[in-house]
Amino acid sequence: MTDRTRKLPALALFAAAIALTPISGFSQNTSGKSSDPAKQDRWLHIRVDNPDSKEETVRVNVPLELAEKVLPSINRDRLQSGKVKIDEIDCHGVDLRALLDAVRTSKDGEFVTVQNKDSDVRVAKQNNYFLVHVVDRKHASKKSQVEVKIPMKVVDALFSGGKDELDLVAGLRALSAQGDTELVSVKDEENTVRIWLDSKNVSD
Amino acid sequence: MLLANLALGVGATIVLAGVYTFHDGVMRVDEDNSNGRHVRVWVPAAVVPMAMHVVPRHNMEHAAQQVRPWLPTLRALTKELEKYPNAEFVDVRDGGDQHVRISTHNGKLLIDVDQPDEHVHVACPLAVMRDVANELEANAPGV
Repeated sequence: MTDRTRKLPALALFAAAIALTPISGFSQNTSGKSSDPAKQDRWLHIRVDNPDSKEETVRVNVPLELAEKVLPSINRDRLQSGKVKIDEIDCHGVDLRALLDAVRTSKDGEFVTVQNKDSDVRVAKQNNYFLVHVVDRKHASKKSQVEVKIPMKVVDALFSGGKDELDLVAGLRALSAQGDTELVSVKDEENTVRIWLDSKNVSD
Repeated sequence: MLLANLALGVGATIVLAGVYTFHDGVMRVDEDNSNGRHVRVWVPAAVVPMAMHVVPRHNMEHAAQQVRPWLPTLRALTKELEKYPNAEFVDVRDGGDQHVRISTHNGKLLIDVDQPDEHVHVACPLAVMRDVANELEANAPGV
């Protein structure tokens, strides 16, 4: 066997790798968007499953950029120019904005902790996330659990608008700057609900 | 020989006209109802903007007034959807016999609704939606 024939498999492998490179590049771009991670789309996913009935599902996949651009064009009722009025929401006398402002400016820690035989409730701020954890055991063998994890930057952005309004567009913009994260998870005896953020355009 | 050239010319013209007519795809609406009603509408997408030019002006103005509040949303939505030519946005299944799906495939917006007594499938090229929004906007000044 000559040197040339000995190098043939390696050359063939190299040639195959070169030949396949554009194909893999193409397959990454079939969604019509850039494959550059820095420019990747951010998708908000909502999934509702019923464990008892595999046939009942809700799957919603929304590109944050699309929501950011479309929301300001909707001017109906409380939603105006990407901001939603919350002035008439009954908070039983609680100044929601002042409360969130207090949470925002405070250091990491637990704000509410309730533990009894029926439920566990925990509201905290930790590593720049606003966390809510609720476990309800009121009904025997029917435990329900709620986990909420919202980046504080998103909370800040939501309340960056005028008094008594939530700036949804600013919130979405802040959300799109976040990494992959699970925002809401609810599990009870009937349904599981998940809301999360990633760069995939499918929820599975 | 002359006849052959003539046939070639007519054939080529028909092919070119066909290619031009269908180059934007087809707008499709299919509806099957349990009461026996079946609706099939297949329209070459390229025809839609042209057809809008021949619709009587007062009808266009009336339609534009009706959708006026939603024209900015329609325009923004179509512009953004074009960035996602193949994506699934909504998929709802209920009990196995009801299914609603909103997606895009090859630059078309697809809306599929399947119920036990009714099936509706709509496929509309996003470019046509944009053209329709622009045309309606032209007839509803001030939007």
